[in-house]
Amino acid sequence: MLDEYQRKQRFLQQVNPTLKLISILLVIVFMIMVFDPWTPLVLLLITLSVLSVFGGVSVRFLMLVLLPFSLFAFSFVWINVVFPDERGETVLFSIAGLPVAKENLLTGISLGLRSLVFASWSLLFILTTEPSKLMLSLIQNCKLPPRFGYGMMAAYRFLPLFRKELQQIRAAHRIRGLGEPRSLKEKLRQTKRYMIPLMASAIRKSERVAVAMESKGFDGSRERSFYRVVPWTKFDLIFSVGFLTLLGTLLFVRNHLLV
Amino acid sequence: MNQGKSLNLREIVVMSSISVVFGILYLGWIFFGQFMQGITGPVGWGLLTGFWIMAGIICAYIIRKPGVAFAAQLIAAGTEILVGSVNAGVVLLLGVTQGIGAELAFALFLYRSYKLPVLMLAGMFGTFANFITTYVVYGYSQYSSLVIGLMLATMLISGAVLAGWGSKKVADSLSQTGVLDNFALGKLHRKQRVERHVANQD
Repeated sequence: MLDEYQRKQRFLQQVNPTLKLISILLVIVFMIMVFDPWTPLVLLLITLSVLSVFGGVSVRFLMLVLLPFSLFAFSFVWINVVFPDERGETVLFSIAGLPVAKENLLTGISLGLRSLVFASWSLLFILTTEPSKLMLSLIQNCKLPPRFGYGMMAAYRFLPLFRKELQQIRAAHRIRGLGEPRSLKEKLRQTKRYMIPLMASAIRKSERVAVAMESKGFDGSRERSFYRVVPWTKFDLIFSVGFLTLLGTLLFVRNHLLV
Repeated sequence: MNQGKSLNLREIVVMSSISVVFGILYLGWIFFGQFMQGITGPVGWGLLTGFWIMAGIICAYIIRKPGVAFAAQLIAAGTEILVGSVNAGVVLLLGVTQGIGAELAFALFLYRSYKLPVLMLAGMFGTFANFITTYVVYGYSQYSSLVIGLMLATMLISGAVLAGWGSKKVADSLSQTGVLDNFALGKLHRKQRVERHVANQD
């Protein structure tokens, strides 16, 4: 599902992963200063449309992913209405004797939308970035020590194995007569029963992989050649210019036209 | 064995795979947490936060070298992102700050002590870092101080109990299986076993 989008050859997929990562952090820094509902709303809509136009992600899929996240976003609204720092002056209506002020409602909506902006921008990163390309970019462009980079990639490759292993452990336990849990306490005990063997086998596997890597001559030094090079391209330039213009325009409109 | 302070490849891969396992669990925990926060607000969320420090503390407790807690937290956060967290930016930021928090506690004891109180302190530092980060990023300054205070208190409790005590429990039971015999924790446990054995013979 994920890699179907990650492998598409659209504009966003060609942008350097490191650059996209930096842009996420910049969006967070930018949004920290914002408390009105309009800026996040505009940024949210722009992000989603950029993602579907330049990333080739279907709008329906985006909505499907963001839907459960909006519950989290909504919690910001109600917490702000019920427990505000300073209750606003303009009371709109009241729920069960609690006055709901316009100011608090707006701040709540702003914070909720802010979390949705973070989510949409993160989707932009995840849906357009192949994991191994990200790792290679971190090693080549960010000077991450190869020993860490390749070590992490090796561990990441275990992921599909873990699922198989979990099924195996479950089957093994069932054969020995340990049934399905009924109470919450049993469920907790079962989790522990699964976790320890799963992690033990993960540790064993990683030790073997590490030994294998070293025996094939991997010494983790920086002087090495790469099968796949992640270069800086013109897409990165276009992306940076577009991104900075977007933030700049939003900042300008906010400061000069809205006040 | 390499007694130096820098990590060897074996330790890096093992640390990564433990963190990858926890990265997936972290992600599941987020959905659970968001569900709880949607219902109970930030306080119920607070009690769950300790779980997100476990990877760092377990790895530091097992490998006992500088930088492990930080690196493990970062890898776990990275896994969450690669597996598909809808909140990648904040997750990454939290990975960094929580890692620094937990690492700080171990650094305070010059990476010499990994006893339960130190682990609990690391957990509390970690959740405190989480608190500061979410406070700034999600604009918690807009909430009343009562809610914020309650949230901080629950987070610190969770950091001590879930992250500190819980991590020690998990790592100790892992060590019993024998897979950690090549690591600092496994060696320590083996030494203790031998000493007990010798003492019994006398």
